[in-house]
Order: sequence, then C-alpha cells, then structure tokens
Amino acid sequence: MDLSRYAALFLTESREQLSACGQALLDWERTPGAVEPVVSLFRAMHTFKGMAAAMGYSNLTELAHRTESVLDLLRSDPAAGRELIDLFFRITDALEQGVGRAMEGGDAKLDFAPLLAELDQASVSTTPTGSWAIPAGAAEPSPAPAAGGAREVRVTIRSGAAMKGARAMLAIRRAESLGSVSAVRPQPTTFEQDDFDGRFSFMLQSPADENEIATALRAAGEVAEVAFGSAAAEPAAEAAGRGRQIRIDLRRLDALMNQVGELVVAKGRLAELAEASDSPELKAVAARIGRVTGDLHGEVVQARMTPVWQVFDRFPRVVRDLARQLGRRVRFEVEGEETQLDRAILDDLGEPLIHLLRNAVDHGIERPAARKKAGKPEEGLIRISASSDRTTVLIRVIDDGKGIDRKRIVPEAIAAGLLPAGSTEVPDDVLLRVLSQPGFSTAEKVTDVSGRGMGMDAVVSKVRTLGGSVEVQTAPGSGTTFTLRLPMTLAIVRALLARVGEERYAIPLAGIAETVEFLPDRVAALEGREAYVLRETLVPTVRLRDRLGVTGARPAGRVPAVILEVGGRRAALVVDALVGQQEIVVEPFDAPKGTLPVFSGATILGDGAPALIVDPAALV
Amino acid sequence: MSHTVLVCDDAIFMRTMISDILAQAGFEVVGEAETGREAVEKYRQLKPDLVTMDIVMPDMGGIEAVREICKDDADARILMCSAMGQQALVVEAIQAGAKDFVVKPFQPSRVLEAVQRVLG
Repeated sequence: MDLSRYAALFLTESREQLSACGQALLDWERTPGAVEPVVSLFRAMHTFKGMAAAMGYSNLTELAHRTESVLDLLRSDPAAGRELIDLFFRITDALEQGVGRAMEGGDAKLDFAPLLAELDQASVSTTPTGSWAIPAGAAEPSPAPAAGGAREVRVTIRSGAAMKGARAMLAIRRAESLGSVSAVRPQPTTFEQDDFDGRFSFMLQSPADENEIATALRAAGEVAEVAFGSAAAEPAAEAAGRGRQIRIDLRRLDALMNQVGELVVAKGRLAELAEASDSPELKAVAARIGRVTGDLHGEVVQARMTPVWQVFDRFPRVVRDLARQLGRRVRFEVEGEETQLDRAILDDLGEPLIHLLRNAVDHGIERPAARKKAGKPEEGLIRISASSDRTTVLIRVIDDGKGIDRKRIVPEAIAAGLLPAGSTEVPDDVLLRVLSQPGFSTAEKVTDVSGRGMGMDAVVSKVRTLGGSVEVQTAPGSGTTFTLRLPMTLAIVRALLARVGEERYAIPLAGIAETVEFLPDRVAALEGREAYVLRETLVPTVRLRDRLGVTGARPAGRVPAVILEVGGRRAALVVDALVGQQEIVVEPFDAPKGTLPVFSGATILGDGAPALIVDPAALV
Repeated sequence: MSHTVLVCDDAIFMRTMISDILAQAGFEVVGEAETGREAVEKYRQLKPDLVTMDIVMPDMGGIEAVREICKDDADARILMCSAMGQQALVVEAIQAGAKDFVVKPFQPSRVLEAVQRVLG
C-alpha cells in the first residue's frame, strides 16, 4: 500500500489528536481529581497510536502505547497522576516533534528512551486502586440492539451548513421513509436551537442495508458523515466533529482563488466593454458571466473559511507556560472558537495574537500578591474571543490586569517627541498610536518574554496589511482589551476608485461612510487641524494630494470628498475626482521603506493599470 | 418537459429573484402567490412539480399553507425559503411536510441544489 497518499492526512489528524492531548492536560492540571480529562487524554493518545501504527512509525507508536498504558491505570484515580502531568506534556511535545521527523523518514532515528524510562518509573508507582470510574457515556458498551435488529445511526451535518437543526430534521424524515425511527438523541427540541452542533443519532429499524440508509440520509443535503453501530467508535466521531471538512491542499485552494481573482478582474473589464457597446447579446452574456463569477467567488471564499480554533488551539499552552515562567496565576478562556475567517488571514494572525497574549501575561496580569493587595482574585483572567457579523470578524484579547501604565509611557513618549510637551489627558487611541511607533518601547517592555518576537508596531502593521484595524481600551487597575477588527476575507473587495493627479487609488468600500462634494465654505478648524463641517459635525480633513506630495495642476472647480469611517472615527479624504467602483484583487504588499503608511496593499485594475489601496484605518 | 414551479412570497423582489434563478435553470414558473391562502388555492389549481414557500406571509403563513397543501397531497414538493434565525419555524415547516429549505440571502447554486434534492 502506498502510504505517502495518507501522509498529509496523518499529519493534520495526528496534530489534531496531539492538540486534544494538550487541551486535556490543561484541564487535568486545573482539576486534578476529575476523571474526564484523563479519559479524553487516553482517547486522544489511543487514536494517535492507531494512526502512527498504520503509518508504520514504530517509535512513535511505542511511546504512545506506553503512555496510554500508564493513563489506563490512572483512569481509576486521576489525582494520583498529578505529579506526572508535566511528563505527559513533555511526551506530547516529543510526539509532535516526532511526527515531523518521522514524516521526513526519520522515525527509526527517534530516541524516546529517557521518556520511556520515566514512564516505566511512573507505572511502577501507579498501582490501580480500585474499579474503573469512567463517567457515563465515555466508553460505555454499545447499546444493545433493540428487538428486530434496529441499528444505531449516527449522522454529522456539515460544519458550515446553515440551520443544522432543520437539516437534521430533514435527515430524520428521510430515515422515517425507510422504517421506524426511535431514541433520537439529542432531544429533537434541540434541533430548534441555533447552537446545535450538527451531530445526532437515532435507532432505525429498517430492512434497508447500510448503503441504502446512508444514501437516503445524504439526500437530505449537507450531510458530512453517516456512521453505524455502537458508541464504541465515539473517539472517531469526536474527531470528525472537529474536522468535518474535506482536506484539500491549501495551495490548490490558493491557486483557485488567484484564478478567480483574475476572472473577477476580467469580468470587470468585460462589463465596461459591454456597457459601452450597443449589442444586447454582449450585454446579456456579460451580465451572466458577472453573476456566475460572483457565485464562484462566493463559493471559493466559503471554501477558504476556517474556524479560528485551528490557530487558537495552541494558545492555552502558550499562556500556561508563560504564566509559570513569570510567576503569574492565570485562568485562560476562549470564546467563539468556531468563528470562521479566511484561511489566509487566519494564518497570519497567530504571531500578532501570541504577542498580545504575552503582553497580557507579562504586563497586564499582576503577581498574585499584588492582585490580593488590590482586592482582586489572585488568579488573573485572560480571555480571547472571536465573533463575526456579515463581513467583519472581531477578535478581542482581554485581561483583568493593571491596565497600560500611562504614567510611565506618556513622559517617555513626550521625551521621544511622539506627544506634544505637556500632554496629560491621553486618550486610548492616541496611546495605541504611541505604542505602535516602530521601536518605541519602555524600559520594562523589553523583557525576556515580551521583547522577543514582534513589537506592538508589528502587530498593528500586520493587522493593517490584512485590511483590519486595532483598537485598545485600558483602565488603570481593571485591565486592557485589544480589539482586532478584520475583514472576513481578503483577496477580493469592492473599492471606490479615486483619482489624484495622474494616479488612481482604490479605497475599500468597507471603510467608506459616504461621498460628498467638498464645499470650500464648509472648511473649519478642529484642534489646529483642518476640518470639514458635515451636517453639524466636524470631520478632520485629509487632502490626499498634499499628503502624497502630488504636484501639478490642481483640478479646476469643485472636488469630491470621501467620508471614511473606521471604528467610529471619521475623516474627510479630499481627492481630485471619483472614477467609479470596482472589485479589486488585493495583492500582498511589502511597502518599500519610506512609503507613506497610508496604503494597505496594491492591485491591478480592470484595464491592467496598477493602483495602490488606501487604508482608511490609517487616515481616520 | 421542464418542471413547473409555484413561487410564494409576499415580496415582489423575492419572487422575481427566485423566479429568475429557477427560470435560468430551465424551470417553468407557472404561478406566483403573495399569501398563504393564495398559495393553497394556486397549488390545487396548477398542481406544480415544485413550490417555493416563504415562511412569513400575510393571510395564512407559509407553515399553515404547507399543512393545508400536504393534507390534499402528501407528496407535494415544497421548498421553504427562510431568513436567518428562523430555525424553529423551519423545523416546524418540515414537520408539517416541507421537503427542504434554503436560507436567505440566496445563493443561486444553493437554491438549485435544494431544488434538485426535492425533485430527486
């Protein structure tokens, strides 16, 4: 059998299992007496062992097997194993590294002897203390088949499907057409709730064979998996619950996306030509291609959507290790881990988020003694949450620590010329602007922990290149919240095209509130800056021509202004002219040094000319 | 011969959009209804192969209409058109006899998939 075909699958699935191990270990550490974490760990280790064995990686299999044996003993008395949690963490790490090496052909060279010796030691000291105490449902024997040969059917609805409950109900109706359905779990009322996860089971008494049943159920639509038989296969079902997706090589999807991007641009050009033509046939064909392209784009974007847990999964471990290293006590919570985001954006978020989490542990959460003195619980709280609306994903990193220290930062910022002398009241957004100046770091900031990796400036600029923005709210004594506002997908966005001098610039519609005619008699001053009177309110103006240093003849007569709006802040961007709207394909953009920080990317317009993409977040 | 469709929705916009999607895919839209009551009457009269049914309509809602239609014809092929957040209503409609559903905003491909399932 050619195992290389399965290599990619093994890589992703084994990582999932090892990540589940890490999660179970964190749970175990928090509640040393609880059985469930040990059972989860046992299951994940067992599943991993099976996969490693199937791939013929004997050293990985051996380590997993010996670990599983010790865990088996501990299931009856988890508290007895608390001293071993660190060892299990190290084993999980070793397996993870081992997977990579084994796949490069180095399984035979893996040497787990020291870990195995420690495990031997552990299994001697761990004697079973009584009957197993496995919680109900964990490994219970499969339900006895009901009289007449009813069998258990387990169905998983595709994770991206809308209204999973209604879909489940359709599947049950299909099953009812084959025979008699009973023991539906969970309760059918669950199907009316929006948080139903799409997994359900029932007993079906029917003369149909498994193939017929599966075919009938799949005909209900959006069915990811149909399985039969006992609950003993639970671990596999659980893994399927997390990975209810077809695995596709990401490069294929990227290539497809690029092609669709080209198509969208070509479609734009075709639409322009059709517009200028007298041929109704051409207009009709152009309209049809436009619609199909739009649908195709939607589907590809959908296919690239990835739940954020794929990146968030490693954070509990990061926070735990960091807290230990720095002598903090931290409870870490994750919310909204099923929130979906374009894979390309998600992949680039890991580093910035780890930086924010490091900051939260290092500078946010106080030492236990200090927290006690301040009347707070000794254990600090860090929470990362993700949520989305139609087009935007919000990711928040929240801590209940001491807040950003203005008393120290403001004088340094004044000394560095980043704030006017005598600044006292510094609002949160100005504070963030100071912190995100390249190279700005207070003495305490450069520690072993936070000084590593990227700085705040890198976080902010990374998020900007992804078309997003960063906000901060901080209060002395009660904590700091960083909010990352990100587009759900990049790659293709609708943009307004504006002209300044000879060049055209693209402004993403997501950052535009409206466009107005710029009337000279409505210009006023706001805190020493030029502002524009827009229906009773003052909006700071930015003259793009001056900002870019464009010379040459100014347009005669009136010019338009684009009212930008990001995160509640606005600016009036004055341009020479507006030249239309277009879908643009965002190209990765490494701004050359010296480029003004007002662009987030570049694009090729429908007629083949390049244009820079204006970053509204940088101008408001 | 192409399949015949009855499109039921109180909004002209939605009826037009659904009709366009189906017509482009080769279906013949033989009737439209603005209320649940009208849907039931037109179903009896036209006997279409497929019905698309909005949930919220004046003068007898979509679910009630599904019940009425299925009383006469248990095999009626009815596709519910629902907005986000109406899951409980969709479940009720399925229990009443609806054969599938789509969620607004519609993607033509999704609508056609659902239609294929209903007719399949």
